[in-house]
Amino acid sequence: MSASPFPLTPLCQLPAGETGRILRLTGDEGFCQRIREMGCGEAALVTKLSGTTMSLCRVRGMRLALNHRAAMSILVEHLPLAPR
Amino acid sequence: MAAAPRPGSEGADPAAPLPAHIAGTPGRRRKPPERMPVYALVGNPNCGKTTLFNALTGLRQKVGNYPGVTVEKKVGETYSQHGHAMKVIDLPGAYSLAARSPDEAVTRDVLLGRRADTPQPDRIICVVDACNLERCLYFVHQILDLGRPVIVVLNMMDLTARAGLEVRPAELEEAFGVPVIPCAAVQGRGLVELRLAMSRHELPLARHSWTVPAPIAPAVAELQASLVAADGRPPLIARAEALLLLTDQDSVRVAGSTPLSAATGAVLENWRRRWTGQGTDWSGTLIKARYEVIHGLCREVIRRTGERGPSLADRADALLVNSGWGWLAFAAVMAVMFYAIFALAEYPMNLIDGLMADLADRVKDAMAPGDLRDLVTSGIIGGAGGVVIFLPQILILFLFVGLLESTGYMARAAALMDRPMSRVGLHGKSFIPLLGSYACAIPGIMATRTIENAKDRLVTILVAPLMSCSARLPVYLLMIATLLPGDAVPASTKAGLMFLMYALGTAGAFGFAWLFKRTLLRGEAPLMILELPAYQRPHFGEILRQMLERGWLFLKNAGTIILAISIVLWFLSTYPKHPDPAASPEVQIAHSFAGQTGRTLEPLIQPLGFDWRIGIGLVTSFAAREVFVSSMGVIFGVEGAEDDTAPLRDALRAAQWPDGAPLFTPLVCLALMVYYVFAMQCMSTVAVVKRETNSWRWPLFQLAYLTGTAWVVTFLVYQGGRLLGF
Repeated sequence: MSASPFPLTPLCQLPAGETGRILRLTGDEGFCQRIREMGCGEAALVTKLSGTTMSLCRVRGMRLALNHRAAMSILVEHLPLAPR
Repeated sequence: MAAAPRPGSEGADPAAPLPAHIAGTPGRRRKPPERMPVYALVGNPNCGKTTLFNALTGLRQKVGNYPGVTVEKKVGETYSQHGHAMKVIDLPGAYSLAARSPDEAVTRDVLLGRRADTPQPDRIICVVDACNLERCLYFVHQILDLGRPVIVVLNMMDLTARAGLEVRPAELEEAFGVPVIPCAAVQGRGLVELRLAMSRHELPLARHSWTVPAPIAPAVAELQASLVAADGRPPLIARAEALLLLTDQDSVRVAGSTPLSAATGAVLENWRRRWTGQGTDWSGTLIKARYEVIHGLCREVIRRTGERGPSLADRADALLVNSGWGWLAFAAVMAVMFYAIFALAEYPMNLIDGLMADLADRVKDAMAPGDLRDLVTSGIIGGAGGVVIFLPQILILFLFVGLLESTGYMARAAALMDRPMSRVGLHGKSFIPLLGSYACAIPGIMATRTIENAKDRLVTILVAPLMSCSARLPVYLLMIATLLPGDAVPASTKAGLMFLMYALGTAGAFGFAWLFKRTLLRGEAPLMILELPAYQRPHFGEILRQMLERGWLFLKNAGTIILAISIVLWFLSTYPKHPDPAASPEVQIAHSFAGQTGRTLEPLIQPLGFDWRIGIGLVTSFAAREVFVSSMGVIFGVEGAEDDTAPLRDALRAAQWPDGAPLFTPLVCLALMVYYVFAMQCMSTVAVVKRETNSWRWPLFQLAYLTGTAWVVTFLVYQGGRLLGF
């Protein structure tokens, strides 16, 4: 994957209402595989809905809740505009 | 790049117009198969699979367990349009064929034909949530690889408009080449079409194809060949299994799975070593390749009709999960649930108690006095009553669990509770079972089935009996009345003491959960990723069905074991008979095996401040904790101790050791309460833990660690109190 022009941010630090693109997963392999299978793999767009301790977000049309450790394991690039 | 074989090309022309799942295929009619066709119902969690299963099979269902695992096996029967019976297996919800939990492992094994106890399904019904199509299609994509006849059910089509989506089933049908049935199972829409598709003698095989990424393709081919040659798998199943084995994370093996041959194992190991050396991310590559295909497909099938800004549900989630209002709402929901389990259940429980007492009285009137009559009234009716009396609490708990799940609030509550629970290494979902255990550990333990992680579930089961259940209340009340008699002591002091016992049990549960997660069932605090389902109106029919199902399972499974143990306990407290037939009940019970056991136990319990009479109470209350009160009534010759504790309280206060020292000192009363906080004095719980863990190992461990802890803590309280001069 080409280098991102935007700095990488853990999902928990993405501001509410903003959208990011998942670029890297840093959890254990089992966790990475499962979230990839749930559609949260590299290149998926994620919109943060609320929260920092418990991150609520939307990926591929589904709403997900991720605890702090899980959200820290997902690194995203912050996209300036939400995709329409 | 190696192109995968196209399953649809076997016996069917991929270019032919597809499908004709309603009209059938003229001129190719065959005799219906003589054997009842077996359908497997599969899908992601929360896609409405069980609702569809219930709608298809009605009450023609059998619920059991897969041998060797705690996973529930639900099999039902439905009829084709021509009146032929068809078997439907409702497989546990799964996100992927690469299993991450025992439930998913069972789904995978049944679909791959690895389980000897369950026939490989002839046809597969894939249920998908039309509002979450992209994610659901990942699992469908894996299943189409199996090369079995598949019907895709697009469930929850009634919710797509609200989600701002227009889903086009015909496009999906065209792409996959299998019947795609739009459906709203809750409203019963689409069921006729589904039944028509199921009634077809032939179903087209999927004509989907995808390209296995180049670095992985040679391994898939080699492993597929080995699975065909050494493990006797059909070629398409072998290919699907090869893809799973290569993901490496498909590591969950459950009892009943057929193990792989040594030859295939060696091929697998060889490829894993090679990739690890090269640093190839084969797992991520495979998943990405599938999602690329699915993403392209979804662009054709789904059209967005609404704006994508924050929806009402998004705002509700922000309030319910990430704000102080969420805690308030949660506290209100829990207060109502707690009140219902504790207070409302009391009426039907009293009714059942009265009915059982009436029944025992009638038997007493009808039968001549003697051991047989005692066995029927005390052993059988008393034992059965001891089980049935918990039924209202179980039903109410499952009513609330059903309501919370059905409306979508359960996932929000689990998300909210995850933070405090994770401090002791537990998952947010452990909270509901622990809360339910305040009413009774049995429904609490049964409610742990919502926890996917086997270790987290086991830890929750192990600590659930520490939450003070309603059966401890009579013991606490009697001891508090003995410790603080009369009206001189303010009610708040008594309530405070009661609260202390509840707090002690809760602290014990959290402490042991913390300990187990760091020792016996070691595991990191779970990385929680939880799907939040759409908010919906509750489906009362479904909830009622679930309540009845759980209630019946409880009566059937726990009841048989509890009844047997009740009869044994009756025998122990009745025999041997005292030589004097006119001996009083207290003399008789002292002479019985239970009395002898009490005396045998005395050296063991004397350091706790207990004598042999309390020992009898401890033995008999193993049937149910509240039996301690009636046992004390019999031993101290007080009638009707369950209804009015005052005479028994006075008798206990007058009880003495042989040297004339009072037996029930305030310190002993406190020590006895502490003992009941920790001790596993409940055979019903032992029976249910045995059922839920499918082995005697865990209930016996639980019995040992809780009884051991009870002894140690009570010893410390009693001896410490004495050192301090109490």
